[in-house]
Amino acid sequence: MTCAEFQRVLPDGIEEGWTTQQESHLGTCSACSSLVEDLDTISTGARLLRASDEPSPRVWNSIAAAMQQEQSELELIASEAHALQAIDEPSPRIWNSLEIALKQEGLIRRPQREQAVVPFMQRWRMAWMIPVAAVLLVLAGLRLSKPSQTVIELPPVQVVQPNADDQQVLEAVAKRTPAMRATYESNLKNVNAYIRDAEQSVKNDPNDEQAEQYLMDAYEQKAMVYEMALDRSLP
Amino acid sequence: MQSNQRFAKVAVLVLLATATLASGETRKEFRFTVGSHSSISIINQYGPISVKPSTGNEVVVIAILQSDKVEVDQSKNGNRIDVVSHLLPGATADNGRVDYEVTVPADANVTLHSTTGPLHAERLHGDVVAEGAAATVDVRDISNSHVHVNTLNGPITLTNITDGHVEITSVSGNVVLNHVDGPLVRVNSSSGTINYDGDFAFGGEYTLTSHTGDIEATAPTYASIDVTARSVKGQVDNEFPLHPKTHSSFPMDTVRNLVGTAGKAASSVKLLSFSGKIHLKKR
Repeated sequence: MTCAEFQRVLPDGIEEGWTTQQESHLGTCSACSSLVEDLDTISTGARLLRASDEPSPRVWNSIAAAMQQEQSELELIASEAHALQAIDEPSPRIWNSLEIALKQEGLIRRPQREQAVVPFMQRWRMAWMIPVAAVLLVLAGLRLSKPSQTVIELPPVQVVQPNADDQQVLEAVAKRTPAMRATYESNLKNVNAYIRDAEQSVKNDPNDEQAEQYLMDAYEQKAMVYEMALDRSLP
Repeated sequence: MQSNQRFAKVAVLVLLATATLASGETRKEFRFTVGSHSSISIINQYGPISVKPSTGNEVVVIAILQSDKVEVDQSKNGNRIDVVSHLLPGATADNGRVDYEVTVPADANVTLHSTTGPLHAERLHGDVVAEGAAATVDVRDISNSHVHVNTLNGPITLTNITDGHVEITSVSGNVVLNHVDGPLVRVNSSSGTINYDGDFAFGGEYTLTSHTGDIEATAPTYASIDVTARSVKGQVDNEFPLHPKTHSSFPMDTVRNLVGTAGKAASSVKLLSFSGKIHLKKR
């Protein structure tokens, strides 16, 4: 019996037992006897696996459901992408801006060959809304997370007239004590004028101690007005 | 004749009773026994609060309620008493008014709130806090205590405050201090005027600041003061004999700035206005 003949009947022999002829071959052929030995080891190990090690039917069902849902979503995305009209597509200017922004953030590299850009663009044209939104979100996040490197100097706030906060305070006063609204409004204007002058004074000479005193006093007055207006302890 | 007089008396009594009933006024009295250094807080939306010292250890609160649109809530927790005018639906500045007359042990700490006021406290040596947007505030004869007053346009008068820690903030109310001395006297005003007449004693720090309001300070020639007066856009007038100082942290413009000392310069006096006029006078 040759090795080829033996290996053809190998599965039957493992399950049903060896014939005399096959046992004779095993006794003389080290390759086939080694193969049978390996198969026996695997077979023994497999039998040791218990039924409890297998995932329950609930797990299999969950996996199947998740895969089905994913498949549905992919189909939905694909159908939406196909439904996009050419007019909905962003203009080349937007694509260029987007590409520049992505390169600046290091999210894409400059393509080595022009052919490499084509599939990239084609893929994006298929469903441009989702990646654009994602990239914008990422860029916004990156911008927010990066410390600002340029200080934008805002113009000084003109606070002579009651601002939005003042208006809220005045509304609170009017709600509780309508007759006092005019008093508060007039006094807030006074305080705001004080703050404006004091701020200007500090700006003119930042080392002026008295100017700082004016500013602190002005803010203290405003704090007092707010506190008085919003004092919840009053009935 | 006698019957006519009797009839007249009865008629007057009936009229008074009718008037009282018609006005809807109600008088309520609350009494609390407290220990030393008790705290009394009176919060009143509309109406005056007057606080005077009592001889014993009792707090007596007499409240005159103008109508049934307001009621008085009171509580005592340990050594702390809270009295609050509680406005009911439909209350106005007239019918929600409560007039308080309060007597407290002289060492009590009192806190008074009233939007309309007036607020009055006298002859105490506990801390006094008075706050009212439009309330006239009158505090007098207080010693060894903190006096803190806040108003929007309510005028403030402090008289005979000795060894006090005085802090006043008012936006447009005029402030008058007569014989107010202590380690710290500070007035912060916006458009209200500040008028000080006293000794600037106790080696204290006196800071009177305004935005547009004028500041006038009068002191006796024996006052021991180190004066800095400055008006950024206003004018500084001085009639007080001061020794000039050669060194100053700001430009020596005699029209708008003044620095100088008198006596041993024990107290620091800062008169600062942005555009108000400052006038230092001798008594």
